[in-house]
Amino acid sequence: MSTSATEPEAADLVCQLDNVQGMVDALTSVRWKRHQDAVVELSEHGIVLIVEESRCLQAKVYLQRELFVRYGYSAQGRPRFGVSLGLFVDCLNTFSVPGHSSTIEIQYPGPDMQLLLKSLDSANACIYAEIRTRIPDMVSWDYNFEPAGSTPLSFTVKSSALKEAIDDLEWPGSSIQITLQPVPPSVTFRGDGHGNLQIDFKYYVNTDLLVAFHCDHQVSYRYKYKFLHATTSNIPASVIKDNRGSKLTIGRGGMLKVQHLVSVARPSISHSHVDSAGYQQPSRIAYIEFFVKPEEDEATGNDS
Amino acid sequence: MELSLSGNALKTFARCITCLARIGNELAIQASPSQLAFHTLNSSRSAYQSITFKPDFFDVFTISGTQVQCSVLLKAISAVLRTPLTSIDHLSVLLPDPDASKVQWTLDCYNGMRKAYWITCNIEPDIQHLSLDRRKFPSSFVVRPRDLNRLLGNFQSTLQEITIIATEPSSLPSDAASEIGGKAVELRSYIDPTKENDSSLHTQLWIDPAEEFVQYAHVGDPVDVTFGVKELKAFLSFCEGCEVDVHLYFEKAGEPILMAPKLGVDDGSTSNFDATLVLATMLISQLHEGNPMEPPAAAAMRHDQPFHGTGSQAQERTRGNVSEYPSDHTRIWSDISGSGAKSGNGVEERHVEGGRNPTTKELGEIQRMSTMHISEGRSDVRNMARGPNPNCHPMETDRAREPQERADMEGHGLSQHHPSNWVDADEDDDEGDEAELCVQSTPPYHEE
Repeated sequence: MSTSATEPEAADLVCQLDNVQGMVDALTSVRWKRHQDAVVELSEHGIVLIVEESRCLQAKVYLQRELFVRYGYSAQGRPRFGVSLGLFVDCLNTFSVPGHSSTIEIQYPGPDMQLLLKSLDSANACIYAEIRTRIPDMVSWDYNFEPAGSTPLSFTVKSSALKEAIDDLEWPGSSIQITLQPVPPSVTFRGDGHGNLQIDFKYYVNTDLLVAFHCDHQVSYRYKYKFLHATTSNIPASVIKDNRGSKLTIGRGGMLKVQHLVSVARPSISHSHVDSAGYQQPSRIAYIEFFVKPEEDEATGNDS
Repeated sequence: MELSLSGNALKTFARCITCLARIGNELAIQASPSQLAFHTLNSSRSAYQSITFKPDFFDVFTISGTQVQCSVLLKAISAVLRTPLTSIDHLSVLLPDPDASKVQWTLDCYNGMRKAYWITCNIEPDIQHLSLDRRKFPSSFVVRPRDLNRLLGNFQSTLQEITIIATEPSSLPSDAASEIGGKAVELRSYIDPTKENDSSLHTQLWIDPAEEFVQYAHVGDPVDVTFGVKELKAFLSFCEGCEVDVHLYFEKAGEPILMAPKLGVDDGSTSNFDATLVLATMLISQLHEGNPMEPPAAAAMRHDQPFHGTGSQAQERTRGNVSEYPSDHTRIWSDISGSGAKSGNGVEERHVEGGRNPTTKELGEIQRMSTMHISEGRSDVRNMARGPNPNCHPMETDRAREPQERADMEGHGLSQHHPSNWVDADEDDDEGDEAELCVQSTPPYHEE
């Protein structure tokens, strides 16, 4: 047990972040409803935030310790707490000043198990916030994502194209069927409602639309539109601008995993902690993962 | 039926769909080996748009049989065209056989995505046909969409109907006592008189067709047509996008008006697409209030042009409506060729700032306008009358003369330009019912 001589020493986690906007972007990408209860898990590796809906959709944001300017972890085990996602993001947003480097310090727990945030930019003024946390009601559902078979079924597509396709697929007003087929190598999204819409991504070597494609047998699963839409609805603009790709993997039983990369690096001002962009880029990325359960009845032409 | 198009034709096509979607809900498609026609009719049956394409508009145009027809919802087509046009390589439309229940619209995008939409279509559509011969319209004008949009900018943006009053332009400056030359056309907001809480902005705008229109043709008695602004603006957007002028044909109140893009010299023969918009007009003429041209019921049956929208009993618009609220009316002048009283609605400023650069002559007038507004003397007004500008001929008439003029109006011998259009040069600012220096409305209202 650590002696509680001064508060910072007693805290499980004290970390400093020099680009609040990046964290806001990363957390915003998993917002699909106004009120979402998130579970935050702290570890020596970083911070993970998990949100979930009706046991059908789960999203995780991984903020590994390398994203932080300072990461002081001194907890026993892995503290978990619940916090309102909207409240957390809106609060972080108040610390973020566009065009300025905004450095904040996050500390947990406060005297009453709060999440404490403090601005570190200015010597003359300080913004200080406390956010109430909760004991999480239930254990986060571990989606236990397993590969579909010996070879993965996955493809990597340009994030902007994925978002465009999912936005277009609102029109049919139905669930969306995703089909991967090896010959010819292609991914198809299809909605059959009051009209039909089919969007094909063909895996050609010369386009950068489908960056990667792995599929050895045809699979097809249906997913509720609103869950699929949640995976791309709040992709931050930086993802589109950076021309990033999103990786989609179909696991056992049709579970869909959608992965995005969100840059947390500051675009302009150089900080003494930041090395040349090339070296730091890989660790200045937050990983976003969505898990979407398929609709039960449709499993046409699939093995296991 | 199979079509394919790309590039600029696709842009024009998308513009057509946007315009059609602003007019009606359902798109009737009729294809024959010689052309493809799109029609739509709005729900109140007061606006009908038709667009025809020749086969060479398309990259691929294949029609099996003599005629194929179906109808689809315009909302669905608009959903197809949500994809940015710059990312579309080509659009293909396929109706596999004449009784197919769905028509397939496919977008092939530059980035490799292919989007195929299957849209339910009605194969026995209730296709209305309305073809009016442009040559039968006695009056017309041609205007640049940008110019007409600028004039419409003087009206409240929520305005639903507008009246255009056309009079015969005099070529010579007429006797100051009776005729006025120049401002032959008036645009006036039409506000439904049965609406109880009328807090709308009323606007009247007199313009000189020689300055504002590219062409103008009207002879004989003044006529007026009242029609919907929404459809007019939709068509103006369409023409502006196609970079063509708008040709508007009209006859008189109650008769439909026809709008078409002015394509080339021969009006369409050189182009591979054509569009027309027919709008019904109100039966009641704004010029002859209290004297409807014919009983509404009978009028409604004419030419399949049902009465435009608002309600069959709204026709009894009396002259009193204009005279009851004289001070609620905003009266402005065209900045190009006139002077005017500022009624403080801020429109004047917009006029002066934007739009065309006024000529030095016009700048002089605007200066005189301000001068006139400030001063109470009559001398400035007279200056205007005698000024070198032939377009501006304020009418110097006594109020006493009005009853006579009114009588003329009601009778057959109408004066082309109502004397009360013009500021009465003899009157002081303090005189009369209104303290404001303003133009009396057309037609005149009662003095009290």
